[in-house]
Amino acid sequence: MTGSAKRRLHLGRVRRAIQRDWQLWVLLLPALCFFVIFCYFPMYGVQIAFRDYKAAFGITGSKWVGLKYFEKFFSSYYCGRMFANTFLLNFYGLLFGFPIPILLAIMLNQLNGKRFKGFAQTAIYVPHFISTVVLAGMIYLFFSPTNGIVNHLIVALGGKSIYFVLEPNWFRPLFIGSEIWQNAGWNTILYIATLTSIDPQLYEAATIDGATRWNKIRHIDIPHLLPIAVMMLILNCGSLLSSNTDKALLLQTSGNMATSDIIGVYVYSVGIAASKAQYSYASAIGLCLNVINFAIIMLVNGISRKISEISLF
Amino acid sequence: MTKTVHRSTRIRETHADNIFNAVNLVFWILVLAIVLYPLYLILIASVSDPDAVLQARVLLWPVDFSLMGYQAVFQYSELWGSYANSVFYTLVGSLLSVMITLAAAYALSRKFAGKRLVNLAITFTMFFSGGLIPIFLNVRDLGLYNTRTIMIVMNLVSVWNLMVARTYIQTSIPNELYEAAVMDGAGHFTYFFRCILPLSGTIIAVLSVYYGVARWNDYFTGLIMLRDRKLYPLQLVLKEILASLTSTGSSDTFFEAYADNLGGLQEALRKAEVAKYCCIVVSTVPAVLLYVFMQKYFVKGVMIGSLKG
Repeated sequence: MTGSAKRRLHLGRVRRAIQRDWQLWVLLLPALCFFVIFCYFPMYGVQIAFRDYKAAFGITGSKWVGLKYFEKFFSSYYCGRMFANTFLLNFYGLLFGFPIPILLAIMLNQLNGKRFKGFAQTAIYVPHFISTVVLAGMIYLFFSPTNGIVNHLIVALGGKSIYFVLEPNWFRPLFIGSEIWQNAGWNTILYIATLTSIDPQLYEAATIDGATRWNKIRHIDIPHLLPIAVMMLILNCGSLLSSNTDKALLLQTSGNMATSDIIGVYVYSVGIAASKAQYSYASAIGLCLNVINFAIIMLVNGISRKISEISLF
Repeated sequence: MTKTVHRSTRIRETHADNIFNAVNLVFWILVLAIVLYPLYLILIASVSDPDAVLQARVLLWPVDFSLMGYQAVFQYSELWGSYANSVFYTLVGSLLSVMITLAAAYALSRKFAGKRLVNLAITFTMFFSGGLIPIFLNVRDLGLYNTRTIMIVMNLVSVWNLMVARTYIQTSIPNELYEAAVMDGAGHFTYFFRCILPLSGTIIAVLSVYYGVARWNDYFTGLIMLRDRKLYPLQLVLKEILASLTSTGSSDTFFEAYADNLGGLQEALRKAEVAKYCCIVVSTVPAVLLYVFMQKYFVKGVMIGSLKG
């Protein structure tokens, strides 16, 4: 076949594909525009991390400064503390928060009364629908040193009132505890879906063989949940350095900085909240974090694919 | 003979199961108490006398029933301005989000040239972003900083929701329907609007709740993108009322006032304390109600999406 004939064939195929698919592209277009403008434009703009951003020159016109801001961040006094705080907040959150949804899902699956079961399932999802601002507000109200119900209880039991929101030692328990309260129920969804997809004949056979409920949990539920739990665990490891910035921001006080000073909040306070915002410096910090997070996810995904043949992509 | 053996094992089983069921029931009563009590407490505190609330005498039911807090809240016009803003952002934004997500999800559920690339490009945004500052500068350069538009178009499409919707369409709408429609001469538009949309009630409900609640509760977008108080969504004003939630600015003076107020407690401060509970109720009820009403479709739809997702 000659070159021009080949090209004609190719062009014909493209034309047919367009004729067939253009309506699909039209349906896809609004979403694509969104991703290009609000996700890919900023990725292009991230180059200001390597420039000395001046509003007058814009993103592409400012002077290149190489790794200046990265060096500034890594040599800054609080860099180590921020990495440690970010990591520990996520690590403890995973350690305490991860098993609870699995336990809830198993126990819910064993509930007898259909109506009570439905009520329980509906109820444990409710806190998920509360906003972060309200959650933080509730913490401030309940844990207030003078009027809060928690401190009233402590005092009534003969203890001394604790200034929870100003105590560095209480930042993580408050943050993680409220996180569990708010989302443990919601996070059962995946596990409940897995449990309801188990063939009921398996339970019937187990009952005939004389298995108790506890036996069924151990020999049917847990083996079925294990692969998905492992996958979730691995995935969660991928977000060990990401942070729930708005919640940390809302719970941060001048008193608990020693533990609440995490990278996400620092980026916000240096790049947005500061009266003289340091765009390039804040971008560099954000980029560091994103690159590290991305690397962890890739690594974890690769490992997961090798070991368990479960992977994201 | 076999019959008796069978019966005896059944009795033993039931005994062990009875213990388990009792433990499980206690477990769930505890869990539900932990989950629901804080919410209940907010509710009863909002209709109680400020003094009773401050002295933590409101524990199980309202004490000295009073609507003082709600009166204070209803007089606070800025709250209602922001309430209207949030209703607007949520309704318009969610409507757009659901339509755009559904259309894209349908497109991605079909085969077409270039699909792999589109999928990759979209998934990639889930794992990598330019970061807060480049996003902020991008919005500013587009001229959208401090506008109502940005409150609508920011976070317009969530990759996760897109995946859930695509999985739903792929798994619950049979491909034969598409083949039949094409035989009858339908293009993608006709098929999408005449066949997919009417069959997508469940997923539309799920997406509406997801997007609606996320927008209603969104605090960060407004914090970053707005300067003009007239444009503030509810959560920003709410944060100021619940007060002293940030590390910066006036928080510490608030704390001092708080700590000192044993000495000279002011009536205003007392009222404000109960008004906080009322604000929480007023702001949270729409999101929770939306969930409770949609709950029936919701649990089903989320399960379908999450199993394959």
